[in-house]
Amino acid sequence: MAAIGISTATMNGGQKLAMKYFTVAIALFGAQVLFGMLAGLQYLYPDFLFGILDFSVNRMLHINAMVVWLLFGFIGSVYWMLEDESGVPVVGIGLGNLIFWIFTLAVVVVVLVYLLVQIGPGEQSSIWLINEGREYIEAPRWADIGIVVCVLAFFYNVTATFAKGKFTNIGGVLVMDLVALAGIYLAGMYYTPNISMDQHWWWWVIHLWVEATWEVLVGCLMAYGLIKTMGVRRKIVETWLYIEVALMFGSGILGLGHHYFWIGTPEYWFTIGGFFSALEPIPLVAMVVHAVFDAGHHKLKSTNNPALAWIIAQAFGNFFGAGVWGFMHTLPQINLYTHGTQWTASHGHLAFFGAYATMVIAFLYIALQKWRGDVYMSGNLNGAWKWKWAIFLLHAGMITMVMALLISGYEQSQIERAIEGSTWMGYFAGQSHRWFMQGMFWRQIGGWVFTAGFVLLAWDLLTIGKRETRPALQVQGE
Amino acid sequence: MLEPVKLANFFTVFFSAASVIMFGATYALLFAWSRIRDRPRLMPLAYAAYVGLFISVIVLALAANLFHNTFWTFIVLLMLIGYLVAPHAIWHLCVGTHADEHEGEANPIKVYQQR
Repeated sequence: MAAIGISTATMNGGQKLAMKYFTVAIALFGAQVLFGMLAGLQYLYPDFLFGILDFSVNRMLHINAMVVWLLFGFIGSVYWMLEDESGVPVVGIGLGNLIFWIFTLAVVVVVLVYLLVQIGPGEQSSIWLINEGREYIEAPRWADIGIVVCVLAFFYNVTATFAKGKFTNIGGVLVMDLVALAGIYLAGMYYTPNISMDQHWWWWVIHLWVEATWEVLVGCLMAYGLIKTMGVRRKIVETWLYIEVALMFGSGILGLGHHYFWIGTPEYWFTIGGFFSALEPIPLVAMVVHAVFDAGHHKLKSTNNPALAWIIAQAFGNFFGAGVWGFMHTLPQINLYTHGTQWTASHGHLAFFGAYATMVIAFLYIALQKWRGDVYMSGNLNGAWKWKWAIFLLHAGMITMVMALLISGYEQSQIERAIEGSTWMGYFAGQSHRWFMQGMFWRQIGGWVFTAGFVLLAWDLLTIGKRETRPALQVQGE
Repeated sequence: MLEPVKLANFFTVFFSAASVIMFGATYALLFAWSRIRDRPRLMPLAYAAYVGLFISVIVLALAANLFHNTFWTFIVLLMLIGYLVAPHAIWHLCVGTHADEHEGEANPIKVYQQR
């Protein structure tokens, strides 16, 4: 293995398992890009692949691939830091490896079924075996149960390892968060024929997973990442982790209310949703202040420049995607018109990429540095143009897509919602308007740029540090 | 209790809401930068950003009909006060959490000098 610049000798069991998760994550990231491009083309050429690979399937695969690649990335990242944090080998690593293969196989089977059975009757058997039919969490019931079992096994690995070793503050927050990660997913499996109740619980998965458990998980990863790349002292990052978790939970949990405005829930959700939505940007502003404080303090000296660049991208992406793009249309007085338009898609693209994809990519670089034998990845790194161009193209593509979707969403909120009154005819009037189509065209251009960035990123991940002989810079992070 | 935004005010609402967050971040950034780099001249700019935030909140409130209801008026006041004091509170947290980072150093850097 050493001949091709790979060194697993210094990696622990958790880190070897993490590399498997990262490999599947990057493959699913590619699948997300591919199906997103196909779905985007179908907006411009509605006959494209019609009857072969329908828009509904492409869109579903695009979003499901995103959820699963981020989940694989998060799980891999946690395994990566687990032994480092706890000071002992991962407890039940054999179970962890087994679960990895079961999880990967289940994802492959679910995707194949999506592709092979695109239409058919909606029956109990199809809910269990083919498609649950609930947006974003379409996985059939058997896969739902499988996901919970996998997360519980993962939870066991993490909890038992910390229990056996030392329970750091990052570990404590992580364990509590994993309880919520597994528990809240169960809400998405609750079936009721009442659409308001169904949506009530569905949002627990869609909002609370993302704006509570994933944000906290990313907070833990960020804390570890800052220790490793910049040498920020543990006491500081752990204190900030608590502060940010408190702020996020304080505003984010009942911020759920902004999804309850239009689903038939009682009117008091306007009050709750409006109040907590106004608070939600505060943790993001807090992170900006702390980022400036740390950047000024550590002078951006780092052991791993690509990882640090992606961590910085995360701070800004989270702020703009979740903060600015979210607050623009979160108050019910305007959300009445924007809810479910391409405006939401614009917010979703920037928030998911900015808050989560960036963090997983940062961890990939942290992992690759060790995988290459703890090589130098600071300034004047050989072949640094690749990671720099990849980060530029991915962001340029994403910003183009987000702005284009914003224009289309703005047009929809005016034509379809305000002028036509959300009628069926209004829906088509909005979708066929010139502004909407121009937005879709530019979204596709942004998609091509993003795709080029992804290809370059994949190339860089395969080659970075390969010819590097200098050892990594050392920082003291404890 | 809700009075939907008029069509003519859509852009004003989007733009002013985005400006609230952008000015909020600019205020927080300049506030932190002024103190961490010991550049008091930046502080007026920080407060100028807050004035921008203040104007944005008022424009948002007018365009989104928030002053027509007591609860939403309270939300407006909360935003104005909250965004004014948040950077101060966060700065104190930063100073507090970093306070003992360089214990024992002969010349601790200015960042730890709380005003």
